[in-house]
Amino acid sequence: MTTTANTETAAPTQAVHWDLHYDIHLGETWSQFMEGLRQKKILATGCSSCVRVFVPPQAYCESCFEPTDGWRELPHEGTLEVFTVAWHGFTGGPQAPYAIGAIRLDGASTLLMHWVVGVDFTPGADVREQLPFGTRVRAVWAEERTGQILDIAHFEPVG
Amino acid sequence: MAYRAAVAGVGLTEATSPRKQTRSTIELCQQAVQATLAHSGASPDSIDAIVTGNIDGFEGTVLGAKHVTRLLGIGADLPVTIVNTGGTTGGNLMQVAARMVRSGTHRRVLVLGGPTFFGSTDLQSAINTNSPMIIEQPLGMGGYHMGAFAASAYQERYGLTADDLAAVAVADHAKASRNPFAHLRYEMTPEEVLAGRPLSSPLTQPMVCPISTSAVAMLVADPEDVADLATTPALIKAMGMSADPYLGGGKGDFSRMQNLANLARRVYALADIRDPLGEFDAVEIFAPYAHMQPMQLEALGFAPPGGGIDLIRSGATDAGGTLPTNMSGGPKCTNAGVAGELAPYAYAALQVMGDAPASIQIPGARRSLGHGTGGSFFQFENLAIFESLARSN
Repeated sequence: MTTTANTETAAPTQAVHWDLHYDIHLGETWSQFMEGLRQKKILATGCSSCVRVFVPPQAYCESCFEPTDGWRELPHEGTLEVFTVAWHGFTGGPQAPYAIGAIRLDGASTLLMHWVVGVDFTPGADVREQLPFGTRVRAVWAEERTGQILDIAHFEPVG
Repeated sequence: MAYRAAVAGVGLTEATSPRKQTRSTIELCQQAVQATLAHSGASPDSIDAIVTGNIDGFEGTVLGAKHVTRLLGIGADLPVTIVNTGGTTGGNLMQVAARMVRSGTHRRVLVLGGPTFFGSTDLQSAINTNSPMIIEQPLGMGGYHMGAFAASAYQERYGLTADDLAAVAVADHAKASRNPFAHLRYEMTPEEVLAGRPLSSPLTQPMVCPISTSAVAMLVADPEDVADLATTPALIKAMGMSADPYLGGGKGDFSRMQNLANLARRVYALADIRDPLGEFDAVEIFAPYAHMQPMQLEALGFAPPGGGIDLIRSGATDAGGTLPTNMSGGPKCTNAGVAGELAPYAYAALQVMGDAPASIQIPGARRSLGHGTGGSFFQFENLAIFESLARSN
């Protein structure tokens, strides 16, 4: 903890800093998903009583409250339904600008959030004109994969 | 045994930026509580519980505001209930208090919303810690990045323009300029809104709420037991809350607020609201980002899909219109975290009590709607309908 001498131009404050590390247990369902990513596979689960297919996989269906029954591999392609360009990021986050998209992989009922490339970040550019919603995109794999969501480096437009 | 609950007093502090705020969290909370007692006329020893809360990590504590309650000057032996539902904590505080009073176990419950966005030197960084770990947190999303998904999808589907977004912000600033408790009390032109710094497409900084410091408190009481109070209480006629999936990708469709629409149907049924546009005298909705107001007006049944902006541009949501909305200026101009989420309920209750600041009071308001939303990708929604108690009796 350090004290800031910031009393001339603003109300007096004192700095507090947290530097804590956690190991979050993935559990059985997400462990399998992450192992799939390491092997360049996108694994999903399906609800046992409805048609919903979840990616990232879930052990239970959020609509039916029934367990999901079985794994399936989804294609690496899908439709970019919506994205935003983060022109301004935050401390400790990725270097702005970057584009985050919601991607409907073929066969999935949910959206997968991930980075998308193919947007011109020139200030003032119409980002949606360059990458219209509905654009087909596919996963680009990271060279080194360790079993985490960024094993997919990003999604890029097909063709 | 009470089956009804009412808001019998409200206390608001003035709002400022964190930089200009000379009071501490505890001092702001004390001020809001004292203002609530003064407004209601309740003696401190008539209060038998406190409900308060915070948002993990946003204040540099995970104490849930427990450290504040003994210092409020209303006694040391009061039971404390902590609520922590992220951004919706403020709205849910009142709902928990109302359930305590309705159940008959408590007579008068003090609700306290503190200045949760106070300390963080980069609030978006703190918000990112609340985004879904493992799957979505590594992608780098703070609050307005998450909000921008709905803005983008709604624009694409219904053709909302940048000028439309600016018009919403301009209207909010005009309203806030009349509210002595608002933070950004200056008017803006559409050109200024559009020229603001881009934050996350399509949102510019003036389309996004400020980081404010203020505290809000209210007294929730048994409406059959108010003889010693000074106010015309606001009966909490109906209320409810609802949740969406936690993962942003679980929403399915960012272009509509289905979760809020579902909740509105449920809460309107409880209060026998059949014609929403014709039945509310004042509305306070939690719309910190410009696109949220038209989307929420649609989900609440005030406009058809895509028609929210037409309602706003028609003047219906201004003072003197058929649906005065966010006369306070809303969270777009004042957002102090838990206090900011309690504020729509505070203002909606004040309207039907007839005790809103004179410059924003809707004359003769008898029924109002308060709304809150928050959590990652606005996972949670809450609503409450207030009626002037004189009418219900």
